[in-house]
Amino acid sequence: MELNILLLILIPLVTAFLIPLVDIINVKIRRFVIISSVLAEVLVSLFIIISQYNLFLAGKLDLRYYLGGWSSMLGITLALDSLSLIFSILISFSLALIIIYSIGFIGHHEGKYYALIFLILAAMQGTVLTGDIFNLHIFIELITITSAALVAFKRNREGIEATLKYIIYGVIGGLFFLVAVFLIYFNLGSLNIGIIASNFAQINIKMKTTIIALFLTSILIKMGIFPFHFWLPKAHSVCPSSVSALLSGVLLKIYLYVFIRLFWDIFGFGLLKEVGLDYFMIYLALFSSIIGHILALQADDVKKMLAYSSIGHVGMIVGVLLLNTPTALYGGLLHTISHLLLKTTLFLTVGYLIQYTNGHHVADFHGVAYRNPGIFIAFTLGILGMIGIPPLPGFYSKWYIVQAFIESGFVLAGVLVIGGSIISLFYYLRFIYRGYSLLDYEKKIKPQRVGVVLSAFYRERIVTDVSYVMTSLVVFSGLFIWLFKQPLMVVVWALIGG
Amino acid sequence: MFYHFIFILLFMLGLYTILVQDNLIKLVIGLTIMEAAIFLWVIATNYRGGIIPILQPGVIEADVVNPIPHALILTGIVIGASTTALLLTLVIEINKFATVITLDVLKGLRD
Repeated sequence: MELNILLLILIPLVTAFLIPLVDIINVKIRRFVIISSVLAEVLVSLFIIISQYNLFLAGKLDLRYYLGGWSSMLGITLALDSLSLIFSILISFSLALIIIYSIGFIGHHEGKYYALIFLILAAMQGTVLTGDIFNLHIFIELITITSAALVAFKRNREGIEATLKYIIYGVIGGLFFLVAVFLIYFNLGSLNIGIIASNFAQINIKMKTTIIALFLTSILIKMGIFPFHFWLPKAHSVCPSSVSALLSGVLLKIYLYVFIRLFWDIFGFGLLKEVGLDYFMIYLALFSSIIGHILALQADDVKKMLAYSSIGHVGMIVGVLLLNTPTALYGGLLHTISHLLLKTTLFLTVGYLIQYTNGHHVADFHGVAYRNPGIFIAFTLGILGMIGIPPLPGFYSKWYIVQAFIESGFVLAGVLVIGGSIISLFYYLRFIYRGYSLLDYEKKIKPQRVGVVLSAFYRERIVTDVSYVMTSLVVFSGLFIWLFKQPLMVVVWALIGG
Repeated sequence: MFYHFIFILLFMLGLYTILVQDNLIKLVIGLTIMEAAIFLWVIATNYRGGIIPILQPGVIEADVVNPIPHALILTGIVIGASTTALLLTLVIEINKFATVITLDVLKGLRD
C-alpha cells in the first residue's frame, strides 16, 4: 500500500527518461507511452483515494514510505496526510489533462517537451509528498529548473529574456530556502518534517525569527507576491499556452502548499503571531492582490492579463489563509481549487483561440466568437467563473473569503476583495465584448466557422475536447460545490488542531 | 563564529554582485559565489575529526564523522551546477539576438 506513494513520483520520473529512448527506437510509439503513463498516474491516484477514503474522512490519514528502509531519524521518508492527498490528486488530474492537451497543441521538439513536462510532474508530486525538508528544497529547485527550460521553449527573444529573469529570482529564492533549511539542521540535528515540527519550540526566538524571515522571503519570491511580482507576468505569458496553464494554474498552488506546510504544520501558526508578522503579511498580500488586478487592467495582451490576474488571486488566497479561522482556511483552500480549475481552463481555451486571432492583443479578438463559437463559450464561462458569477465555483470561494474577512473584523479587506472582483469585471469583459463584435466590412460577409487550424484533424479534436472537459469540470464543480465541503473541512481541522 | 562571518561576507558579496553588476556573465558568477558561500559554511561548521562513517559492530557513533552535511552538500553542488549550466545556455542564446550581454538587453534599451 505504501509503495503507491513512491509510484506517484516514480511513474513520471521513469517516463521522463524513457521518452528520449523511445524517440531513438520509434517516434510513433511515443504518444502511447505518454498516454499510458498519464493513465497509470491517474489510476494510482484513484486507487489511493478509494482505498484511503474512510481513513481520510476520519482525519487519521498518515501513510509513510521509508526510502531504503531507513528510519525517519536517518533516512528520507515520503509521507501522505490529508493536505498532501488533496494537492496530489489535484496535480495528477490537472497535469493529465494538460499533457493530453499538449499532444494536440505542441507541434515541434515534442521529445524534449514531454521529457521536461514529466520531470515537472514528478517534481510536483515529490514536493507534495516528501516528508523531509531538504528533499522539499531539492524538488522545488527541480521545479524551477525544468519550468525555466519550458518557459524558454519557443526560443525567441522575449522567451529567453523572461526565462533569465525567472531563473535568477527563482535561484535566489531557492538559496534563501537552503540557508533556512541548514539553520534548522544546525539547531535541531534533523531534517524530518515530523521531528522538526515537534522540536521547533526549543529554538531561541532570534533564530526562529531569522528562519521565518528567510522562508517567507523565499516563498514570496516563488509565489510572486507584491515586492517580487515583476518576473511573473512575462514568464507566464511567453511560453506555449499549455505551459502557461501549468505554471499559472498548477505551479503557483504548489508554492501555496509549501507555504501552508511550513507555516501551519512545521512552525505552527502561533509563531507568526508571536513574531508579529501576521497582520503585516495580510495587508501585503491584499496590496499585492489589488496591484495585480490594476496591472491586469492595463495589459492588452490576453496571456499577460491572465498572468497578472493570477498575482491578484494568489495574493487574495495568501491574505485569507493568514486569518487562521476555519472559514478563512476553508475559503482559501476552496479558492485554490477553483482558481486552479478556472485558470487552467482559461489558458487552455486561449491557446486554441490564439490560433484564430494570429495575435495576443485585445484588438485581435474581433469576431472570434463567430469563427469558433464552442471554444469561445468555454472561454466566456471561465471568465465568468473568475469574476464570480453565482453558479460557477469562483463565486462560492470568494463568498467564503469575504465572509471570513468580515467575521474577523477586516471589513476593509473584504471591500478590497470585492473591489478586485469589480476591477476584474472590467478587464475580462473587454475580451467578450470584442469577441462578439464585428468590424464593419465583416458584417457584409457572414463569418464562417473555420475548420482545421492545427496541423492535423486529430490534433484539433484533442485540443477542443480537452478544453470542453475542463469547462464541464468547472461547471460541475460549481453546481456540486457542497461535495468539497467535507474533505476540505477535514484538512482545515487538521491544520487548526495540529 | 569565524566561519559564520565569512559565510555572511561571501553571501552578501554574491548578492551585491547580482544587484550591482551589469554583465550577465558576472550575474551568473554572483549566483555561484552565493552558492559556494553556503556550501563552504555548512562543511566548515559541521566538520569534526573522526573515523570513516560506516556503521558496523564495534564503532561508536560519537567517533565517526557526521556524513549527512556532506551528502546534502553534494546534492546541492549538483543543483548548483545544473542551474549555472542553464543560465549560461540562456546567456549564449541572448547573444544570438543581441550583440552585447548586459542587463540593458533585458530592458530593451540596446540591441
